Amino acid sequence: MIRLGLRFSLAGGKEAAVRLAVTAVAVALGVGLLLLTLACVSALHSQDRRVAWLETSTHNRRPNVDEATTDPLWGAVNLDQFGSRVIDRVDVAATGPHSPIPPGISRLPGPGQYFASPALVRLLHSTPADELANRYPGRLIGTIGDQALASPDSLTIIVGHAVADLAHTPGAAEVRSIETDPQGSSVFIHHPGRLQLILAVVAGALLFPVLIFITTATRLAAAQREQRFAAMRLVGASPRQIAVIAAVEAMLAAAAGVVGGFVLFVLLRPVMARVPFTGQSFFPADLALTPVDVAAVAVGVPVVAAAAAMVALRRVSITPLGVVRRVSAAAPRAWRVVPLLSGLCELGYFAVVGRPSTTSKQIEAYGVGFVLVMVGLLIAGPWLTMVGARLAARRANRPSELLAGRRLADNPRAAFRSVSGLILALFVTTAAWGIITTVVGYHNASTGGAEGQRLMAEDFVDHPLHALTSTTVGQLAAIRGVTGVVIAHISPTAPGGPGMGPPDGLVSCADLGEIPALGHCQPGADTASLPWISGAGISTNSSQLGAKHLRPAAAYSPTQVESLPVRSIYIETDGSSAAIERVRTALERLLPRDRGYVGPPSTISEISPDAQQQLIGYQRLAAVAIIASIPIAACSLAVSVAAGLTDRKRPFSLLRLAGTPLRVLRQVVALEAAVPLLLVSALSVGAGFVAADLFLHAQLSESLRPPGGAYVAAITTALVLSLGIIAATLPLLQRMTGPEVARNE
Amino acid sequence: MSTDRREASAVDGPVVDARDLHLSFGPTPALRGAALAVARGEIVAVMGPSGSGKTTLLHCLAGILVPDEGEVWLAGRRIDRLSETARSALRRERFGFVFQTGQLVPELTAEENVALPLLLAGVRREQAVADAGGWFDRLGLDGLQRRRSGELSGGQAQRVALARGLVTRPEVLFADEPTGSLDSLAGEQVMNLLTDSARAAGTTVVLVTHDARVAAYADREVMVRDGRVTTAERVPR
Amino acid sequence: MTVPLTLLGLLEREPSHGYDLKRDYDTYFGRGKALPFGQVYSTLARLARDGKVAVGELEPGAGPDRKRYVITEHGATEVETWLGQPVEPEPHLQTVLFTKVVLALMLGRPADQYLDAQRAAHLQRMRELTEQRRNADLVDALLADHGLFHLEADLRWIDLTVARLAELRNEVCS
Repeated sequence: MIRLGLRFSLAGGKEAAVRLAVTAVAVALGVGLLLLTLACVSALHSQDRRVAWLETSTHNRRPNVDEATTDPLWGAVNLDQFGSRVIDRVDVAATGPHSPIPPGISRLPGPGQYFASPALVRLLHSTPADELANRYPGRLIGTIGDQALASPDSLTIIVGHAVADLAHTPGAAEVRSIETDPQGSSVFIHHPGRLQLILAVVAGALLFPVLIFITTATRLAAAQREQRFAAMRLVGASPRQIAVIAAVEAMLAAAAGVVGGFVLFVLLRPVMARVPFTGQSFFPADLALTPVDVAAVAVGVPVVAAAAAMVALRRVSITPLGVVRRVSAAAPRAWRVVPLLSGLCELGYFAVVGRPSTTSKQIEAYGVGFVLVMVGLLIAGPWLTMVGARLAARRANRPSELLAGRRLADNPRAAFRSVSGLILALFVTTAAWGIITTVVGYHNASTGGAEGQRLMAEDFVDHPLHALTSTTVGQLAAIRGVTGVVIAHISPTAPGGPGMGPPDGLVSCADLGEIPALGHCQPGADTASLPWISGAGISTNSSQLGAKHLRPAAAYSPTQVESLPVRSIYIETDGSSAAIERVRTALERLLPRDRGYVGPPSTISEISPDAQQQLIGYQRLAAVAIIASIPIAACSLAVSVAAGLTDRKRPFSLLRLAGTPLRVLRQVVALEAAVPLLLVSALSVGAGFVAADLFLHAQLSESLRPPGGAYVAAITTALVLSLGIIAATLPLLQRMTGPEVARNE
Repeated sequence: MSTDRREASAVDGPVVDARDLHLSFGPTPALRGAALAVARGEIVAVMGPSGSGKTTLLHCLAGILVPDEGEVWLAGRRIDRLSETARSALRRERFGFVFQTGQLVPELTAEENVALPLLLAGVRREQAVADAGGWFDRLGLDGLQRRRSGELSGGQAQRVALARGLVTRPEVLFADEPTGSLDSLAGEQVMNLLTDSARAAGTTVVLVTHDARVAAYADREVMVRDGRVTTAERVPR
Repeated sequence: MTVPLTLLGLLEREPSHGYDLKRDYDTYFGRGKALPFGQVYSTLARLARDGKVAVGELEPGAGPDRKRYVITEHGATEVETWLGQPVEPEPHLQTVLFTKVVLALMLGRPADQYLDAQRAAHLQRMRELTEQRRNADLVDALLADHGLFHLEADLRWIDLTVARLAELRNEVCS
């Protein structure tokens, strides 16, 4: 039986060979995707391990050396920023010759020395010193090895200090070993902690169209295959033997596909590594498959294929007299629209009424809404296809429209099934893209707009600066590109602190005049009180920015104010990135080492670079999902159309003999494939935007903003690719409907 | 009576004239010098055993296949050298076809099937369907207009196919085994209707069949054997 | 009715004695029913009287069975005409057709042409019947149908025989 099954697959004629090839290609796509996803997940774990050392603390979970034998090491880890990129800055001071050494370097840097990652070294060389290199005292003595870096693009620096400089500064700790056990979701990984979940969702969204493709491929040459089985039953084969043959055929195709999938994986792995899907690129070696992964896929996929083939046989009863379908196709009914409408209504309800009170209730509410809409699209699809097709057929004037419309109306499930894979991918990514674009725009708008982009702030909330000499202020003001410097001091009457709300700041009116964006003083006042205005994504106080704001007078004299500890330094720049970096560098150099870090100084309107990279990463994933899923759905469509052609080979050939131009038949095929594709795409995208808009209204009282050029480009590319794939099936039509089909003998 | 008609139309020249046709499919010759002339309004049966080339001959006459050698003339115009587009237009506008089975598009209703050639000719949908509907009464198919082809009996389906072949009022109707899948009664009905409609409209008919009783509906028959056309001598009476 | 012509045809193949003639007839055309000697000799006598057959030299030995019969030119022409002329398309003429085909093959005549001519005659008759059926009442139509079916059966036999002519020729002429 097994040998027979092999013979049928390999030597069963042209149609069986085509079926085998197409199924194998579909399986290869799916397996390739699966492997890439698995490799990604494993790469994320590898990244975590690489930067475990940044989580070193006084109580390491898994120390790298025996703590009894080492000398203590003072260390502090902070985040710095260059443009939109994050720099991991590690300051170390060894207390003795046996201090633990972080991975990637051969020895600890001494005072005036530092190691940098290769990417940072390149950046240091390509940037003017006053924008970057001057932040780090001393000179570069070597590169940090890959084993300590998350990604080839990582910017990491290890700066050496004398113990006296570093010890006892806020944020520094005395450690006796280096951490080697990654906890994951570390802030130093610079990608969102739930990324594994997101990746899984995206991979699922992509795998769905591939699965549809595979099932469609198995329908190719189905009639011929079933006839062959019926003939075998006639000769005495039992249903179980038929099942074995079907399973063998499926396993053969799946095995070929698995091999193809591995080849695809190897080819695409370097590309995957270089493109920063998750905000950072990967080391190619990290994109590795564990032996378990390989075994599971190599064995699992053919086994699943065989099982699926046997299950599919159950739906058809192969009698010796031919194939009898057990399930009769009924037309889809109108009730199918209900889940979709109820999902949209649910989201609409919240848009009108306002968002639920707690985060968990929000997740519940929106989750239910989105899932209802998604599932609703899948359920309503066949009915919508049928209704649309019937309408089109009724009003069709040209024969191609009539033929295509009737065909779609007759069998809407089959037509919709091929494109249903798109629904998930397009809906999810469109909604996500729309939401992200709006949120980012909202942030930018709500955090001060143009003014906010030029104004930088450095805050010293936990450890106010006690002395800031006028020389320092003068040096800051003298930086090329700086247009004003204002120092805000802590008000003694509103000291602020944890749990007491942000403290007000006191400024002298003379200073305030330098930065009009901070507001203006009352006429005649010497000092004023400034509310908390900060950046780094804290958006609640952006409305405080603007020259129109009147700052209330404070009951202190300028000299009194000057003697108070410093809460914030505000520096207004010309907005250029060079100026911003110069300010950062200068602040790093000029301010004392022992100030507390709140974060790298940034402009008011910047969202923290972490969050930005997150969101950009999500958008990239969404683009990938779109560009990959639409052509895959087109492949399914093309295959299903080709399979449908064989059903109609004879009437179409005879139509052609009787004078119907090939052009008309091509139009029929094109309409049958392209129209469902375009309509379903439009439907999913539309539903995605509507759902996103309702969500944004509910959550942020904002309207959806237009998604922008990149999204449109992604969708257009994907659709063009897909139409091309469909066009590729048209030559098939010509060959299948030649006059030899009409010969009766 | 049929002799009179033949002689009268011989003055106009044959409407379909094939001369010395040669055609091979790869190494296999299908036609080896076949020739046939059909007068206007005549019904000719083309008979022969399987593999004799009669369907190939029909395809050449109808402009479906281009012979390797020889000429095919239609009402004084040579058609075998035309482009595929031109021949396709010819078949659409001046010929009608009836095949043994499988020509009705399953997803269309019977009247839409009949209307199809009119739609291809650019007639508006309502008009085309109305014209098509007129044939249903004539062919005893009243009430079946909205049925799909799968819901029709063999004989009904062939009558619908006949209507489709005649709906554009063609000059020549080519029929390839039109009753091959039907039982005697259904076949008789179809042949009666075919010949009645053709004679009423003056349509020329080229009928390929291996069935003598079907051939008996024609005015004359020709034999095709081994790619050549032979006509037995008329028996003097 | 075809016995005289059949015997003539056999004689055209080669002159033979009465005994051999009867034996050949029985072999090819007898179909289980042997031709009585009496019929053979009386037929031969009548043929001789009509000048279609000539009696050859007497062989030594007594009795009529030692006579050798030879076909005359008149007789040969008769055979030729009979073979070349299609039989009236009536039902139940299989025996005649069969005889003619075998003889034609024996005599090296173009049996396929004869069969084609026969087919044309059959088809002509079928055309007439079909035309009659068109305007006839049910009983006459049924009769016409009956005739048509039988004619069709003959035609199918003709087709089959044409397809098998080469084989048949080998068998008959060996």
